[in-house]
Amino acid sequence: MPKRTVSLDVSNLENFVYDMSRCIKCKGCTWVDHIYMPGIKFSTRCPSATRYLFDSYGAYGKMRIGLALAEGRIQYNDKLLHILYACTLCGACDVGCKRNLDLEIELTLEALRVKAVKDGMAPLPQHRKVVQNIMTQHNSLGASPEKRRNWLPQEIEPSQKAEVLYFTGCSASYRNSEIAQATVKILDVAGVPFTLLEEEWCCGNIIYSIGMIDEARKIARRNIEEVRRKGAGILLTSCAECYRMWKVDYPKMLNIATADLGFKVLHLTEYVYELINKGLLKLTKPLSLRVTYHDACSLSRLSEPWIPWQGERGLWGVTSPPIPRRRGTNGVYEEPRRILQSIPGIEFVEMIRKRENAFCCGAGRGVKEAFPDFAAWAAEERLKEFKEVGAEVLVVACPWCKNNFSEVIKAKGEKIKVLDISEIIADSIATEVRGGK
Amino acid sequence: MAFPKEVYSILEDIVGHEYISADPVICEGYRAGPAGYECGLGYERVMTRVPGCVVMPRTTEEVQKIVKVCNRYKIPYVPYSTGFYGARSHPHVENALLIDLKRMNDLEIDEKHLYAVVGPGVIYSQLQEEAMKRGMYTVIGGGGSQCSAIANMIGDGWSPLSHRIGLPHRRILGAELVLPDGELLRLGSLALQDDPFWGEGIGPDLRGLLRGYTGHRGFLGIVTKMAIKLLPFQPEKLEPTGVSPNTALMLPEKRVKWINFTMPSFESIKKAMYEIAKAEIGAAVTRVPLFWRIIARAGSKEEFWELWSKENEETVNAFFVLRVLLIGFTSEKQLEYEERVLMDIVKELGGEPRRTRPTDESWFKNADSAGMWLMCGGYVSVDYVIETIEHATAQCKNFAELKRSYTPPLMPDYADPGWFQCFELGHQGYSEFLIYWDPDEDTTRVDHFYLETAKENIRKRFYTALLGSHQPLYLTGPAYGPNYHKWLLKIKKEFDPNFVCHPPFPLSHDFFVEQAEWMKPLKDWGSPNLNEILPKEIAALMKTSSQSKEK
Amino acid sequence: MGSKIKTMEIKMNLIGEELTKIVGPENFSADNSLLEKYSRDYSLSPSGRPNYVVWPRNAEEISRILELANKYQIPVIPVSSRAHFYGATIPKQGGIIIDLSRHMNRILEVDELNRRVRIEAGVTWKQLVEELRKRGFRVIMPLLPHPERSVVTDFLEREVPTNTVYDYGEPLQGMEVVWPTGEIFRTGSASVPGYPDSPSRGANPTGPGIDFYRFLQGAQGTMGIVTWANLKIEYLPKIDKVLFAPVTDLSYIIEFLYRILRLRIGQECLLLNNINLAIILSGSMNLDFEKLRSSLPPWTLVLVLSGLQRRPEEKIQYEEEALRNIVKNEFHEVQLSENLPGVLGAGKKLLKLLREPWPKETYWKHLYKGGCASVFFITKPVLAPKFISKTQEVAAKHGYLPEEIGMYIQPIEHNRACHLEFNFFYDPNDLDNVEKVRGLRRALYPILLNEGAFFTRPYGELAKLVYERAGSYASVLRRLKNIFDPNNIMNPGNLCF
Repeated sequence: MPKRTVSLDVSNLENFVYDMSRCIKCKGCTWVDHIYMPGIKFSTRCPSATRYLFDSYGAYGKMRIGLALAEGRIQYNDKLLHILYACTLCGACDVGCKRNLDLEIELTLEALRVKAVKDGMAPLPQHRKVVQNIMTQHNSLGASPEKRRNWLPQEIEPSQKAEVLYFTGCSASYRNSEIAQATVKILDVAGVPFTLLEEEWCCGNIIYSIGMIDEARKIARRNIEEVRRKGAGILLTSCAECYRMWKVDYPKMLNIATADLGFKVLHLTEYVYELINKGLLKLTKPLSLRVTYHDACSLSRLSEPWIPWQGERGLWGVTSPPIPRRRGTNGVYEEPRRILQSIPGIEFVEMIRKRENAFCCGAGRGVKEAFPDFAAWAAEERLKEFKEVGAEVLVVACPWCKNNFSEVIKAKGEKIKVLDISEIIADSIATEVRGGK
Repeated sequence: MAFPKEVYSILEDIVGHEYISADPVICEGYRAGPAGYECGLGYERVMTRVPGCVVMPRTTEEVQKIVKVCNRYKIPYVPYSTGFYGARSHPHVENALLIDLKRMNDLEIDEKHLYAVVGPGVIYSQLQEEAMKRGMYTVIGGGGSQCSAIANMIGDGWSPLSHRIGLPHRRILGAELVLPDGELLRLGSLALQDDPFWGEGIGPDLRGLLRGYTGHRGFLGIVTKMAIKLLPFQPEKLEPTGVSPNTALMLPEKRVKWINFTMPSFESIKKAMYEIAKAEIGAAVTRVPLFWRIIARAGSKEEFWELWSKENEETVNAFFVLRVLLIGFTSEKQLEYEERVLMDIVKELGGEPRRTRPTDESWFKNADSAGMWLMCGGYVSVDYVIETIEHATAQCKNFAELKRSYTPPLMPDYADPGWFQCFELGHQGYSEFLIYWDPDEDTTRVDHFYLETAKENIRKRFYTALLGSHQPLYLTGPAYGPNYHKWLLKIKKEFDPNFVCHPPFPLSHDFFVEQAEWMKPLKDWGSPNLNEILPKEIAALMKTSSQSKEK
Repeated sequence: MGSKIKTMEIKMNLIGEELTKIVGPENFSADNSLLEKYSRDYSLSPSGRPNYVVWPRNAEEISRILELANKYQIPVIPVSSRAHFYGATIPKQGGIIIDLSRHMNRILEVDELNRRVRIEAGVTWKQLVEELRKRGFRVIMPLLPHPERSVVTDFLEREVPTNTVYDYGEPLQGMEVVWPTGEIFRTGSASVPGYPDSPSRGANPTGPGIDFYRFLQGAQGTMGIVTWANLKIEYLPKIDKVLFAPVTDLSYIIEFLYRILRLRIGQECLLLNNINLAIILSGSMNLDFEKLRSSLPPWTLVLVLSGLQRRPEEKIQYEEEALRNIVKNEFHEVQLSENLPGVLGAGKKLLKLLREPWPKETYWKHLYKGGCASVFFITKPVLAPKFISKTQEVAAKHGYLPEEIGMYIQPIEHNRACHLEFNFFYDPNDLDNVEKVRGLRRALYPILLNEGAFFTRPYGELAKLVYERAGSYASVLRRLKNIFDPNNIMNPGNLCF
């Protein structure tokens, strides 16, 4: 068989025919890594497969369906679209597969959605509203763009120009002002000047995630240009989804490396960890809390920097040059934990499924909008685990996680507290807000 | 031709509408290939079909009802736990009903009496962890942690940890078997009570129907519950460490220890096995082929090939590594004692211990088995045998020779005689012969090699795992027993008169040879009289597919 | 009617003639006094006479006999031992006794390297143990088997071994069987073409295709005639230390066994009550039975620690240390000692007994009163005390003194289960006594069944009771038997056939 030219470009499903055709049904994509398997309970990390049960909902089923689609052996129907979209693209399958087999599962799933859009089968009716919101109001909530900065506390003033640009994101701007406020409080106390984009647009997470790659690319270009114009060296965010978009999917869409963006992309937890190590931030106010931490997918499994690749694949499937593999090994796992464990009074317990084995909250990548029941179900599953470990507070690092968990907690009347890590950090800083520069 | 609507609605009433689907997309998700165990080969392409309908029962009662419906309406059905066994776990006829058992995932453990009771949806990974939490362990078969414990227990079921417990069928206690006609057979103590703590029959032991040396791939009914023996372990925890993909269990070194030894020759490894077995020490004793070491060191497929291409027949055949696991079941002192004995033996034979990591990447949780496909994309174990250590080593050397003329398309392994291990404290040896190929290449000769090994075994009078459903029944049947196939088919006919349970097993490989043009030149044995064996409805479903002429 | 009888007579004569042709006149008999001998055994089963006895020389002869039996629809009863306890070889519907003990009693191979022996069905415990001992080997054994019993039969019948430490349990490997249809067949890895002239040594019992040998286990000669079998053998330990512990609280010692056997301590490990131990020791050592039986504690735990082939002292050392720690920290009341009070040299004597068949003329179970009716089953060890008190209750109701019951608990594989056995001794010449015991046993069976006793080896009239309760099991068994024995000629009347 002659060598084939392949790239990691998700706008062409042909690039992933190899991956789809090499799935062996080991279900490493579904099960928790066997080394970390907790037992008969909490044994899976794929919400779709766990909820819908048919093989077709796990990545191992999707690979087969995707291959049939690529080879024209199957027609679109409602079931197929449900299978493609009732999935948070959480990356558990990708990491699970790469433990042993190194197939590009996540990219394949993204490419399938791009194809669905290209074939006119998507976006789904349930996504139309949020798409319209983002395309016209530049935020996923359809709220007024003028009110995007209303969260900013009076006593804190962003700089016109600064090394750190805080990308607030739609959720923190409009729904979770506590996160944005906590974030800027932290920067303020640490004496870190920060700036904001004059006209901050949605990062385009949903647009990209549901497969509208062309539109997403336009947003990416515009957003990157805005940041470059600002001259910031660091784009800081406290939303895992925004983080992943900026750090991974923007370069992916533009076929550049993360390193070539022109600025670093950091999540608040990474930055705070740096600040603590430099002695610029001290978390000394004791908090008497028994907490556990939920690893956000986009901050952990999916967060390794993007490296574009194109090459050839030949005998035995050997690629040249070798594909640089992103296996979720170097996700942001440690920093949030070290931060929490350093706060006096905090008793830290791990979730049963942690780090790369975490069970997605269920909200991301278009699922909350299209399949709210599924999103609620996934959150409920994760909350069962929370109860099992006997913590008081569920700490998250993403407003999507926070909101999804909170909604379920409220609906069920549970007595569980969910806090974003920014809030905990902010609470543990002894000093009051100093006021911006 | 779609799945019959009337039957669909009856089944829907049995399991509930959420747990049944005949949607072509859902069914496509259950396709066997193109990759998987023994996939990407002619057998998978010619023989497998996508199911016509998938149903997911929760209870034994539901399974019985489903099977009875299939018998009434002559619907072929296939029991399915994970589908990981590849082509042979999947339907071979059009419009079959795939009975996906994953919802039957209850697990209970009787810690005092060292057994677990599981449904087919429970995988080894879950079982092993629950066992280890309670100071016990199980042997996870070579298929890996992801295998259904029941499916593997009635299919294969051994690993280097079988050094002490040996053959997997010994670990089956009481069980439930839904016979192909839908009647329920309760085996072992379940025949008289609800506690499946003991497996022997009342008189003759009908557990004999569950499997042979290997399984018969589900043509004699569906096991819906099984009690599995657990083995006493030691009390220290094996701590999971690392981040994917480099995760491993940290071993409590005073109680659990792997030691690798460099030995001077192949013979000395054999001798060491005999001596270790005679001394009745060890928890696993296995030869490590160079190939495995390269896999362990390589961080990716490309790195593997880079390293592997530096090896040759000389380096491969000069690599003699023995790997021994010691477990201090009784106490730390036991491990120390066994280590002293082991060092005595190795020293006598001129071997040297090597530095060995205090971790277990594989065998306790057997998390690595999917890595078998990493190198080439295609993999099957073309033979695996449990017989004496001598037989095991003679056979693997024999295959290494035979394999030369089929390389390529087989992956070059420079005549490595493969891996073998000690079994049942030296009363047996186990050797497994794995082959790899690139599914995008012409795999005709892989199909040929697979069949050739069956003939070679007969010629050389070796025992083999690949009898029954794995090779043409009419080729192996007359040779072994002799005529074991006669009895197998009689048993099949008695308990599955409608031939609806996973047709056309046990004749699937016979069918494959008949239907694949490129296999016909190898046929030099008798054919089954299908009119006698198969009811006409099933025979009709076995019509040649359009793919049979393809290569 | 007369012509019917005549036809019958002609047929029987014809059969006799044909049998004689197959085995030779010196290996055929229809002599009444000889037939009488086969019509009864040590059990309480009613007698039943065969019509003929033949002593075949090889599997081919057996095959031809079976073809004949099928032709004439006459039952056959395979016999390999010279002593029988359970009535399984008593013909229930007449027929031909096929006795392998005379000619088919060779030790065919002793394969020291692979720790395997291949023996014909007629090989006795006495024969085998002597041969193995000469070479430094042993086979794991049940408790005190009769020296003239067939080793292969006892293993097929799943006699429970006294050794608890081997995870792989049963010694059976590949064997040769003549199916009731007359076909000669090899099971497991002995099924390879040309065996034993093959690299395959018959070391794997499973397959081919299906686990045939499982159908032969516990079959009481109803599924086929095994002519030879491979068995696993083990090395004789280099050093042994026999420990005893007196037991008054059975539950306590059972908990102790749960604890220590899981740690893989010991080789042989068993519990005998005072009666049984007294019989065994007095019978083999010429001691006073009554004195011994009253001086022994209610139960005695026997635990053998062994050092194997290498550094044997060190193995015993670490096992003893582990035992000491457990006794000290968790089970203070267990008093392990190498001495058995009242019996000098008990350890050495018992060790010999445990590794050999019963050494005396009269079988130990018959020493006390002459006859013994046994009831045994598999259960969980923790349940043993419950079964014991139930049995004692029933015994008392039937006029059998509870303190006269012989009892034996054999832990199995790390004490995951146990064999529990009750021996009821009686004088076979005292018909009232016999009836009493018969009645007691009959009453006991359903009670034990209700309590959860798992009878894996239902002999005699127990079979009917058990199979009635295990209806679906019985029905599948019959369907299976019908495949191998369509004319139901293979020892009909046993089990559910």
